[in-house]
Amino acid sequence: MPDANTSSRLRGHLASHGIAEGLIIVVLLGWHLLSLGMPDFVLPGPLPVAIRILELFTDATYFVHVASSAVRVVLAVLMAVALGSLLAFLPRWLPITEIIVHGRIKPLLNAFPSVGWAILAIIWFGPSNGTIVFIMIMILTPFCLVNVSEGLKEIDAETIEMARSFTRRRMVVLFKIILPLLMPYFVSALRIAYGVGWKIALVAELFGAQGGLGFLLQEAQGLADATTVFATCFAIVAIFWIGEKLIIDPLARRFTRQRIA
Amino acid sequence: MLSANSSRSLSINTLKSAQPVKRNQRLAGHGFVLICLGAWAVFSATVDSYVMPGPWLVAERLIALLRDSHEASHMLYSFMHVTVAVAISFVIGSALAMLAQYAGLFRLAVHGRISPFLNSFSGVGWTFLAIIWFGISDMTVIFVISMVLIPFAIINMREGLENLDSERIEMAESFTRSRWRRFCLIVLPSLTPFIFATIRISFGVAWKVALTAELFGGDAGLGYLLNLARQDFDMPLVIGVIVIIVTFVFLTERLIFQPLQSRLSRHHAHA
Repeated sequence: MPDANTSSRLRGHLASHGIAEGLIIVVLLGWHLLSLGMPDFVLPGPLPVAIRILELFTDATYFVHVASSAVRVVLAVLMAVALGSLLAFLPRWLPITEIIVHGRIKPLLNAFPSVGWAILAIIWFGPSNGTIVFIMIMILTPFCLVNVSEGLKEIDAETIEMARSFTRRRMVVLFKIILPLLMPYFVSALRIAYGVGWKIALVAELFGAQGGLGFLLQEAQGLADATTVFATCFAIVAIFWIGEKLIIDPLARRFTRQRIA
Repeated sequence: MLSANSSRSLSINTLKSAQPVKRNQRLAGHGFVLICLGAWAVFSATVDSYVMPGPWLVAERLIALLRDSHEASHMLYSFMHVTVAVAISFVIGSALAMLAQYAGLFRLAVHGRISPFLNSFSGVGWTFLAIIWFGISDMTVIFVISMVLIPFAIINMREGLENLDSERIEMAESFTRSRWRRFCLIVLPSLTPFIFATIRISFGVAWKVALTAELFGGDAGLGYLLNLARQDFDMPLVIGVIVIIVTFVFLTERLIFQPLQSRLSRHHAHA
């Protein structure tokens, strides 16, 4: 009975969406009711926060902060992916560096606290755009390194051997075999770096940035402007989500399909 | 600093790290650490000590910190924050993952709504909100770490629950009708490696988050100490605290989690 089957599946689908969307509505309603009894600097209602989120993207004075954070995140993510890949490839070119990369640099970067980078970089280089991007690169690099070296480990030695039997030019092997096989791992490195990047952009910007969402957050906290604190947090969730849907997901689809074909 | 051990820290396949590694690779590793320490010493001699203190100054400050019971107690506070938060987030995260697994209707709500939302919410955001709600306190710090860790717990426990062997469950169903017995005797032991991985990842993330949370919203802990050091331009202490965190994360990983995990995976390999 295929008909009954599809209709019951459809019903299940609707019900689970009902619960998921219902949950959001319940949370928003609960938030609204809770906020009625509280002063604005403790818990602003969902409506003022929503209006402030809109202002973040439409009002020029706010949008400057959003845009400067976005530029920094994109720059830092790209450079971290490049640096992480370089470190991951290093032991392949120079086997002697295997332990330097995986036994020294990786654990150190992995365990290094992000606030630590922020404080050190501010003291070393002073507050500037370059400093903030540096902090973000240092935090993001280990994630990229782990992902790309995972990919390198997965590459089949026999595939490489086959490629070697066709050509002795290492560049050709690199571009025709290794890089295409690594694409899914680059994309997942990009995805993770992008996700983490938005979250730590705030940390990097909290210490002495002249603009950006972290600066906005700190300013708002200083003025007890809880509405802006809420709006900034949600704006980051929204921007992250939009970027993932518009850029990362299409990239991932494209390269995983290519790999299967 | 990190020279004692040579194999990979976060590698999943423990088999590989057990393989004998080439001697000169290890030598290169030690050499690299020496060169870095040397470069640090030379560099620190050329600049003021509040910009970059040398390794000696940092080591002296570290020893002073460990001797001073008041300063050393901050380590205990951080440890307390981290442990409590890992426990809370583990309970909440597993409960949500199980809800999604056993009541299929909630799957989209948990994995499609709650988990991605928490996952993309910034830790600093939670910190500032928590400061508004709970003030500067232990509560704020524990709340922030827990909120950051919950999505990690959900994602990892989901992985475990979805990898449960359905035939084994079926076998269990044929032996007993008591759900509780099945859960305790079959489901829980099968989940052990995943429970373990969850706690391991949570622990690693928690230390880093704890530092941020304590710096802005705590009145005790290593993050608080870091903030004091920063305000006093006590750079040896800043670097000292970072060294403590890095060493601690590294040592727990090497001495507790890796041996336990390899024992667990050996146990489950022939199950």
